[in-house]
Amino acid sequence: MTTCTGCSLLCEDIELALKTGAITQAKNLCRKGQGHFQALFTERTRPMIDGQEVSLDQAIGKAAEILKSAKLPLLYGWSNSTLEAQAVGIDLAKKLGATIDDTSSFCQGILMERVLTGKIPTCTLDDVRNYADTSVFWGADPSNSHPRHLSRFAYYPRGEKRQKSYEEERTCIAVDVRKSATARLCSNYYFRLAPGQDAEFIEAILAVLEGKIPKFGDKKRMIELGTILRKTEYGVIFPGLGMVYSLQEKMDLLETLVVKLNEITTFKVIPMVGHYNMRGFNQLLLDLTGFINRVSFKDGKASHGPENSVIAAAKRCDAALVIGSDPLCALPFATARALAKVPLIAIDPRRSLTTDAAKVVIPSAMYGLEAGGTAVRMDGVKIAFEPAIKSDLLSDEQVLTRIMEAI
Amino acid sequence: MEAKVIIVTFRDIFQYEAGKKSRYSDEYRQLSAQILLDKQDMADLGVKDGQRVTVGNELGCIVAAAKASEDDPHPGLAFMTNSPWSNQLVRDDICETSIPGFKRIEAVVSPTEEAITQITELLQRMRA
Repeated sequence: MTTCTGCSLLCEDIELALKTGAITQAKNLCRKGQGHFQALFTERTRPMIDGQEVSLDQAIGKAAEILKSAKLPLLYGWSNSTLEAQAVGIDLAKKLGATIDDTSSFCQGILMERVLTGKIPTCTLDDVRNYADTSVFWGADPSNSHPRHLSRFAYYPRGEKRQKSYEEERTCIAVDVRKSATARLCSNYYFRLAPGQDAEFIEAILAVLEGKIPKFGDKKRMIELGTILRKTEYGVIFPGLGMVYSLQEKMDLLETLVVKLNEITTFKVIPMVGHYNMRGFNQLLLDLTGFINRVSFKDGKASHGPENSVIAAAKRCDAALVIGSDPLCALPFATARALAKVPLIAIDPRRSLTTDAAKVVIPSAMYGLEAGGTAVRMDGVKIAFEPAIKSDLLSDEQVLTRIMEAI
Repeated sequence: MEAKVIIVTFRDIFQYEAGKKSRYSDEYRQLSAQILLDKQDMADLGVKDGQRVTVGNELGCIVAAAKASEDDPHPGLAFMTNSPWSNQLVRDDICETSIPGFKRIEAVVSPTEEAITQITELLQRMRA
């Protein structure tokens, strides 16, 4: 069995048949996973310095030289690396006095912090499969982002206490600004919001739960929603980026809602983490520093704040190491441009905009297929996996260790 | 002719798959350099499915293909997949949460005869 590292569900039941240049057969692999793994056979990186192919040793040596001479280095990415690689990365940041940040910084970070510190109750996806009768996908579209979420956990499976499953026992609710694939599936239980209306929607739910007339939305539908939530035995809210981006500094409202729901019944929250080991990095950094992301080790101690987010740090760093991420594709133009202008080291199995703009490119093995390790699923469950095939490529952990040794 | 819109970015499994295979593929460009508009907004702009529009704000401008949204009416609201094209228009102001405005991009859309913005051009802009 192979573990798919295409998203944070970390599906462990993948059966693959591989030949040179292609996946010839795949069982249980979703379309996203197929795209992720098939990419192994296209546009692989080679060790490069200034666009010229060099030996791996030369690329690692150059990376070490750049980082050693930098006064304000930034180490960014991490969500697509194993816990073992992340641990070496955090050590490297300490050694360099660098800023370290991951994709959660502009993703689920503000919510994940509350989950990891116990402010918001959570559960495992196995609990969802076995017990959940109501799942609320809020600003999330698992049909596109986590394709097997509904089939493995939230809606279709016959869990321990949900043998009648979606036919009779499970309800899915979608809250979104667009009628996504998941919202279409939820049909009558799709609640459409305008951008930024999530806070008002929460206040309206709180009102109906307290028996008041809501000031927002269709009153009849809001009361119907309140009734569903009240009758729920075991509910789970799955917040996506839509909710997180909308609430931001009003995230307390979600906490208030969950507290209120738990006065009535049982409700948990699982953030819809995108990358396969974002939660692992957050937990690891929290354990080591007290902060989940945006940490600077300048002056020998860990400090935390928005000034250490990749968005801010990209604009003042004098060198950057990016691992398993393509910020030039995923981040706003001004941030991408700032990163493209500093000496950039990219560690990645595949070609990307970031590797194309990098001064140094170091190829690495693709986790799941070519390298093993440990990662943390979106619900906090630790998953260890072995590689599906043998590879001569170094893993992220090995590349980082070599860089550490050379500094 | 122009229309002010709020663009909300979203994830699409087909665009993700195309981008994983190659950031430089035609398929990735077609699924990224595309803006889903309300049908009435398209009629007001005088554009049909597949016609090119400029999408711009104070941060930058791209040329994308207009596509009629199959969603319920949503005048003034548009959707794009998250990509280097939409990211040309995203604010990255520093605040306590430091979350850029990926899902609330204010932009102006207008018909054009210009060619669709290529990803190589976007990369050049970053490196300029």
